[in-house]
Amino acid sequence: MEYNGGSVIAMVGKDCVAIASDLRFGNQALGIASNFQRIFPVTDRTYVGLAGLGTDVTTLRERFRYRVNMYTIKEERDIEPQTFAHLVSSTLYEHRFGPYFVEPVIAGLENTSSGSKPFIAAADLIGCLNFAKDFVVAGTASSKLYGLAEGLWEPDLGPEDLFETISQTLLNGVDRDAFSGWGAVVHVITKDRVVTRTLKGRMD
Amino acid sequence: MSRSYDRALTVFSPDGHLFQVEYALEAVRKGTCAVGVRGKSVAVLGVEKKSVLQLQDPRTVRKVVMLDDHVCLAFAGLTADGRVLIDKARVECQSHRLTVEDPVTIEYITRHIAGIQQKYTQSGGVRPFGISTLIIGFDPHDTRPRLYQTEPSGIYSAWKASTSCIANAIGRSSKTVREFLEKNYKEDMTREESIKLTVKSLLEVVQTGAKNIEISVMESYGKVTNLELSEIEAIVAEIEREKEADAERKRSRLAATAAGQAAMATRADAGQSSGQ
Amino acid sequence: METSFALTGKGYVIIAADTTAARSIVKMKVDEDKIKELGTHLLMAYSGEPGDTVQFAEYVERNIRLYQIRNLYPLRPPAAASWIRRSLAQSLRSRNPYSVNLLLGGYDQAENKPNLYWIDYLGSVVEVPFAAHGYGSYFALSLLDRYHDPEAPLEEGLATLKRCLDEVAKRLVVSPSKYMVKVVDKDGVREVEI
Repeated sequence: MEYNGGSVIAMVGKDCVAIASDLRFGNQALGIASNFQRIFPVTDRTYVGLAGLGTDVTTLRERFRYRVNMYTIKEERDIEPQTFAHLVSSTLYEHRFGPYFVEPVIAGLENTSSGSKPFIAAADLIGCLNFAKDFVVAGTASSKLYGLAEGLWEPDLGPEDLFETISQTLLNGVDRDAFSGWGAVVHVITKDRVVTRTLKGRMD
Repeated sequence: MSRSYDRALTVFSPDGHLFQVEYALEAVRKGTCAVGVRGKSVAVLGVEKKSVLQLQDPRTVRKVVMLDDHVCLAFAGLTADGRVLIDKARVECQSHRLTVEDPVTIEYITRHIAGIQQKYTQSGGVRPFGISTLIIGFDPHDTRPRLYQTEPSGIYSAWKASTSCIANAIGRSSKTVREFLEKNYKEDMTREESIKLTVKSLLEVVQTGAKNIEISVMESYGKVTNLELSEIEAIVAEIEREKEADAERKRSRLAATAAGQAAMATRADAGQSSGQ
Repeated sequence: METSFALTGKGYVIIAADTTAARSIVKMKVDEDKIKELGTHLLMAYSGEPGDTVQFAEYVERNIRLYQIRNLYPLRPPAAASWIRRSLAQSLRSRNPYSVNLLLGGYDQAENKPNLYWIDYLGSVVEVPFAAHGYGSYFALSLLDRYHDPEAPLEEGLATLKRCLDEVAKRLVVSPSKYMVKVVDKDGVREVEI
């Protein structure tokens, strides 16, 4: 996990969710790039973030894209975030004894009879799922992110407040981590749109 | 009992024929015509292009393809089979370069293709390739053009000028093109002569003229050009002119002979009448 | 020690790699070309385990050529990077992985812009404005942070590269003696003297 660095966080708000990550790609302590996207859209209202080894981030992104496309074609509908979480889990567990070194974070809006419901989840590198009601973190700065999120997060934040909360949590968290940082990207998913913002961060 | 139908194995008939291979040759004969000509320092491939449907993209229908920088292949027969065989050949070309750092020789890749074709006449669960191929090219570090032919049976042979499909040894209009080439082939032809002979021989079976002819010329190692329609049209026009002139000469000679005979007849008449 | 650099500029990518082939502490060769021309507009500098490097580079070269012959058009740089990445990622989890690090520079003729990819033996790929592999990277990357300009003309790009080479020569104990420098732009690939 420390080889390339990087961290991801997701938070629940009122009728919205946010997912954010840093943009650093490093070779141990040496920074290589500050434009490494580790969060990918799965559907219009579901995103997945992958913290961990760079090569596995790309490989898994490709595998998930393939499996989600097959699902969409066969089922003729978009995959639900919860279903996708189980797809992630089973993909990772297939490699139980030679795992991908990745900790995925999933954020999305579930379709329910009464509209949409926020959904977040995280998994470890062999696919053990953690469905949280407030926030999930992953990556090299996860310990710091836990602390900050514990202090800053509160229930029922609106999209703008949620953006502020997740941004502050992430930026301040990665500043205490040598392997994460170098800018950040934040996606706030609401019922009718996704707002993506790229944040500047400390470049040290 | 039903198991004997499960495997489409090519087996001998009691009188020693492999019918499946002969049927494959029949498929070749039904295909469009391909002609190859070897000149002094040039190799030419010509094919009859079936006219495409109005809404089809003619660029996607190819009968002459590159196998490597220095090898060109034309085929006659089932296009779908051709594609598969061509792909195998292309992979072999790159694989050969990778393993021994040298490009393939024309004979090598011909032997490889013929080898695959042969394998498909002797393996279970497969049918032979319904194609004959003409392969032209230059060996690395060599200036002599090469021309080879392969058949569904796996036979391969080198040629000075050759033609596949309808025109091949067996078949209805086969004789036309082959005999034409045998009559008109000269050693050490120039580029222009070779191209002209190719077009001329194709015109023996292609009624529709230039727009249904495709010509590829290889002049030296890796130097391949596909002739534009206008260039082919010019050659066809030239051939037409020559034919016309030839016919004209024949006509005038015929007329002259007729006139001579007529003159002789009148003189004889005159002689007879004066004699009386 | 093996070192390679690459940087993009206005419509071009420059790739430089040292020319030494060493075994242990002995230089076996000082004019080895470690930048392969994968196509008319694609360059790849390779370094890593001797043997693996050449083998893998040639494997890539032949496959890229095969693609071009099969499809009558070449792979664009992003697609080539993707294919190479996948090959390395598959190799990583095989019995005998290639340990090869690459810099892939190309000029995309469809979008008329230069592309540069940093690729390591694990199969990690990042598109970057400038990149380096080997010990030289510890000196060059900070210089490039300061002096690189994505809109610089070729002369300026080569001058920036020169800074990197000079710095490595000055500060690195095991610095290479000679580099090969190649450029790819809209006119294709070529070697330049530096």
